[in-house]
Amino acid sequence: MMDLRLPSGLFFTLLGLILVGMGVFAPETRAALTDANVNLYSGLPMLVFGAFLLIMAKRAGGKA
Amino acid sequence: MHLAPVDYLILIVYFAFVLGIGWMLRKRMSSSSDFLMAGRSVPVWITSLAFIAANLGAQELIGMSASGAKYGIMTAHFYWIGAIPAILFMGIFMMPFYYGSKARSVPEYLKMRYDEKTRTYNAVSFAVMTIFSSGISMYALGLLLHLALGWDFNTSVLASAAIVMAYTFLGGLTSAIYNEVLQFLLIVAGFSPLAILAVAKAGGWQGMASRLKPVMTHAWAYAGSTQSNPMGVEVFGIVAGLGFVLSFGYWCTNFLVVQRAMAADSMSAARRTPLIGAFPKMLLPFIVIVPGIAAVALAAKAGSGYSLPMAADGGPDYNQVITTLMAKFYPAGLLGVGLTGLMASFMSGMAGNVTAFNQVWTYDIYQSHIRKNAPDRHYLNVGRVTTIVGVLLSIGAAYVAQHYNNIMDLLQLVFGFVNAPLFATFLLGMFWKRSTGHGAFSGLVTGTTVASLTWCLTVAEGKGGILGNLHTFPSAMAQSWWIALLAFTGCFLVTLVVSLATQPKPEKELEGLVYGLTKLPDTSGEVWYQRPWPLAIAVCAILVVLNFWFF
Repeated sequence: MMDLRLPSGLFFTLLGLILVGMGVFAPETRAALTDANVNLYSGLPMLVFGAFLLIMAKRAGGKA
Repeated sequence: MHLAPVDYLILIVYFAFVLGIGWMLRKRMSSSSDFLMAGRSVPVWITSLAFIAANLGAQELIGMSASGAKYGIMTAHFYWIGAIPAILFMGIFMMPFYYGSKARSVPEYLKMRYDEKTRTYNAVSFAVMTIFSSGISMYALGLLLHLALGWDFNTSVLASAAIVMAYTFLGGLTSAIYNEVLQFLLIVAGFSPLAILAVAKAGGWQGMASRLKPVMTHAWAYAGSTQSNPMGVEVFGIVAGLGFVLSFGYWCTNFLVVQRAMAADSMSAARRTPLIGAFPKMLLPFIVIVPGIAAVALAAKAGSGYSLPMAADGGPDYNQVITTLMAKFYPAGLLGVGLTGLMASFMSGMAGNVTAFNQVWTYDIYQSHIRKNAPDRHYLNVGRVTTIVGVLLSIGAAYVAQHYNNIMDLLQLVFGFVNAPLFATFLLGMFWKRSTGHGAFSGLVTGTTVASLTWCLTVAEGKGGILGNLHTFPSAMAQSWWIALLAFTGCFLVTLVVSLATQPKPEKELEGLVYGLTKLPDTSGEVWYQRPWPLAIAVCAILVVLNFWFF
């Protein structure tokens, strides 16, 4: 059975990288009503979550 | 709303992943049970999230934020008094019969417990209902994308339907379920920043409460009479109509959600699926309802820069609340994630409907009426073809919805009430061994008739009353809750009376199907957090806190 943590971990890592990339390289990107670097702050948790899923999948894969 | 290249990039990455998951699972589909029932081998955390996600379609997401803006936090009753108790009941009391009976579907359980005609009645009405709800959801999404982004209605409807078709065709129910988990996580990722940003901008919960009518921020305080809240409902209607009949009818008997729990790899996992799913479900109001309330508070705040979207008739168009908020709060990048979350909700809802339709059609209609005893290979192929047909029919239903809004209102009502009487049928079937097939069938027919008649004889918000007007309800919501209550009562009483007058099945045939004649699964050997009762009690404790917090 495919371990779903692998593709979803990969997906959120990618998503996190794109957003954090936006936050770092285009820090002035703003929507009309936001005054914070929203891309950076929302990208970081996604990156962490993605990495967490990947690590979990790797540990389970190592056991089997 | 304007999209930047990075937003399209995120959308494309998402499409690549859902299709990729379907592609990776295609080789595992060697029997009809692999394709239609996921081979009953899916891990419990996956079935739990899919259980919640299949219900979280675009219509639900758009509708809940719209209701949040229209009615306030009372909308959370759909979760805290509606869904959750029903989900707990289903996991603790009903799952042993569904999973233990070896029935492949909800209609098939009805066939084992009652008879063929009851099964067929349920299978056919369920099949039609799934197609229409999938079509309505598709219509809602196409309309929203058109309004928010100027995308062509036809293109967005056809393209997203094609993607759903591709991954369910490749990997069947497993693919649908796996993708639902990804979609659920993405919905949370795409919508929770919106809730946080909008609430913060509106001055926090206290700041919102200071600018809104008090009824918007209290779930129970204004539920004393139908006049004191914009929903037009009172405590009895909420608890009995929504909480008991409608929610139990939906969560306990709708094959769309039950199918996900039945795909679990063991009886214990099947029972835990709804119970674990209840935890995230309980918290969903914070990301689907609260942004709607925040939108109204923002619009009421002078100089906030946000105003409610307007419909053609000059009133507010609450369905656009979620997209207009995103346009104001999400910068390029996160906007792509939010939009993808919206697409994901649509796809999880549609794939849920299509896979449920598929199994009911293949096993409960085709195999039992059109071609019995064919080799399994044949049913696998029928399942695959049905995926395509199901998607095409949903697209057709989306266009019906686009052109005949009134017909859709009626259909939604009539089919919505297939569930309400059905819960009486299951309650009596699972807990009273004396109930019979004739009783169940006549009860169901009565329930549906009562529902239709009530709708034709009462009026709410200018709808219904085709045959006259005996009563005017303060809101369409109150009307639908009362219709459900009456349908349930009608079905319950008729099933009871007819059952007593007809011959029951011998007790031997009811083993594993009815309470008292079934050995209930022994859970005493399991760790406490894997046992149903401790999980249910934990959910209830949080539920009580939430209800008091927003009292």
